[in-house]
Amino acid sequence: MDTIQFDILTISGAILLIATFGIVATRGFMDWLNAYRYQSIVLSGVTAIIGYVTGIWEIYIAAGLTLVIKSIIIPKVLTYVTRKLEIEFKLETNPYVSIRASVIISALLVALSYFLIQQIPFKSDQIVNAYLPVSMAQFFIGLFVLVNRRTVLSQVVGLLIIENGLFLFAMALTHGVSLLIEIGIFVDILVGILISSILLFRISRTFDSLDVGKLENLRDD
Amino acid sequence: MLNMITIIIGLIQVLVILVLAPLLTGIIRKTKARTQKRIGASILQPYYDLLKLVRKDEVISDQTSWIFRACPWINFAAITTAAFFIPVFLAYTPFGLVGDLLLVIGLFALGRFFTMLAGLDVASSFGGLGSSREMMISALLEPALFLSIFVVAITYGGTNLSTLISASSNSSFLPHPQIIFAAIGLFIIILGETGRLPFDNPATHLELTMVHETMILEYSGKSLALMEWSQSIKQIILFTLMINIFVPWGISSSILLSTLAVGFLTFIGKISLFGIFVAFLESSVAKWRLFRIPDLIAIAIATSMIGIVLCYL
Repeated sequence: MDTIQFDILTISGAILLIATFGIVATRGFMDWLNAYRYQSIVLSGVTAIIGYVTGIWEIYIAAGLTLVIKSIIIPKVLTYVTRKLEIEFKLETNPYVSIRASVIISALLVALSYFLIQQIPFKSDQIVNAYLPVSMAQFFIGLFVLVNRRTVLSQVVGLLIIENGLFLFAMALTHGVSLLIEIGIFVDILVGILISSILLFRISRTFDSLDVGKLENLRDD
Repeated sequence: MLNMITIIIGLIQVLVILVLAPLLTGIIRKTKARTQKRIGASILQPYYDLLKLVRKDEVISDQTSWIFRACPWINFAAITTAAFFIPVFLAYTPFGLVGDLLLVIGLFALGRFFTMLAGLDVASSFGGLGSSREMMISALLEPALFLSIFVVAITYGGTNLSTLISASSNSSFLPHPQIIFAAIGLFIIILGETGRLPFDNPATHLELTMVHETMILEYSGKSLALMEWSQSIKQIILFTLMINIFVPWGISSSILLSTLAVGFLTFIGKISLFGIFVAFLESSVAKWRLFRIPDLIAIAIATSMIGIVLCYL
C-alpha cells in the first residue's frame, strides 16, 4: 500500500513539472496563462493528495482555495487587465536566452534541485521526498523565467510560478501551516496581482512598451 | 518444434506490419478528411495507389546515377529488415537475438541517408532543398531519440526489444514516473521521424513547406510505390514501438492461440486509436516554421533529460 501511495505522489509531482515546462516553452501571453491555469489545477490536486495522506482536513480547504483563486480568479484578472494591450506587448519576441536553450536550462535546473535535495539531510518522509524537489525546481524555473524574459507580463507570470513553488514547499515541509496564514497568503497574492497589473497598464500607457530593458533608459532619446 | 512455431509467428508479425502499413496511412487520411468536413477517400485508397503505381512505367532523368535507382530498394530493404525486430502482438520476436532497438534506429538512418543522397543526386534545386532540411531535422532528432530510448532502456533493463517489451508488459505504469517523460519525448520525436504535421506536412505539394516530398519528387512508377510503402512501414513500426513500450496491455506473452488472438485484436484497436489521435492532433496544429522546429526538439530533449534524472532517484 505504501509503495503505491509513493508512486501516486511521484507521478503527480512529475505531472506538475510538465505543467511548469508549459510556461517555459511558450511565448504568447495567453499560452502562459493557460499553462499557469493547468499548473494551478494540478497543484490543487497535489494539495488534496497531501491532505489525504496526512489526514488534516484544513489542507482540503487550501486545495479548494488554490483551485478557485489561482486557476479561475487570477487568470481572469490578468486577461481583463491586458485586454486593451497591443498584441505585440503580449508576445515575448526577444528573451535574453532563446526559448529552446531555456527549455534545456530548465531541465538542468530540475536535475540541480533533485541533486540539492539529496544533499540536505532531512527527516525522510514520503511527501517530502516526492514534492520537495519539485517545489525547488518550480522555484528555480520561476526565477529563471523572471530573469530571462524582457516583458513585464512574463515577469508577472514568473513571479506566479515562484509563488506556486513556495506554496508547495511550505505544504510539503510543514503539512499545512495554519489555515489563517494560508488565507492571508492567498489574499496577498491576489492584491499583488491587482497592483502589478495596474502598474503594467500604466507602464504600457506611459512608455508605449512593456520591455523592461527600456525602463532603464533615463534619457528621452 | 516449439522453435519452429515461434519463427512462424515472427514471420507473421513481419507480414502483419508490411500489410497493415498502408491501411494505417489510410485511416489517418480518412480521419483528417472527416475532421475537415470532407468525406475523404476510402481507407483502402493507399493500396489502390500502390497497385496503380506498380503498373505504371517509370521515368528516370538521364542526369541521375546508380544511387537514384538503388535508393528505393535500399530504403525498402533497410526498413523491412527493421520490421523483423519489432514485437507486434507477441511480446517477443525470435529474430530479436540478432539486433536491438539501436539497430532499428541505425537501419532507419541508413534508409534516410540514401533518401537524402537520392534527393541530391537528381541535381534539381528541389531535391537539394529537401535533403538539407531533412539533414537538419534528423541531426537534431537523433540525440533526442537516443536520450528518450535510454530512459526506457534503463527502466526496463536493456535495449533488446524482446526483453524490453516483455518487461514493460509485466510491470505496471505507476512505479516508473520517468516513463511518462520518455513517452512525451518519444511522441514528439515520432511525429518528426514520420514527417507528421508540426515538422512536415505529408499532404502538401507546395515547395515552401515540403520536406520528405521534395526528396522523392523525381520518382515515379514502381520506385515511387516502394518509397511510399517504405515510408508507411516506417510509420507503423514507430507507432507499434510507441504503443508496445508505453501501453503494452493486452499483448500476448505466450504462444497460445487464444492469447495471440486477443493480442492481435488489441493491437489493431490500439494502433487505429493511436492513428486517429495523431490525425486529430494534425488537424489542430499548423505546420511550424522550419527554424522553430528546434524548439520542439528541445522540449523532447528536456523531457528525456528529466526522465533520466528521475531514473536515478
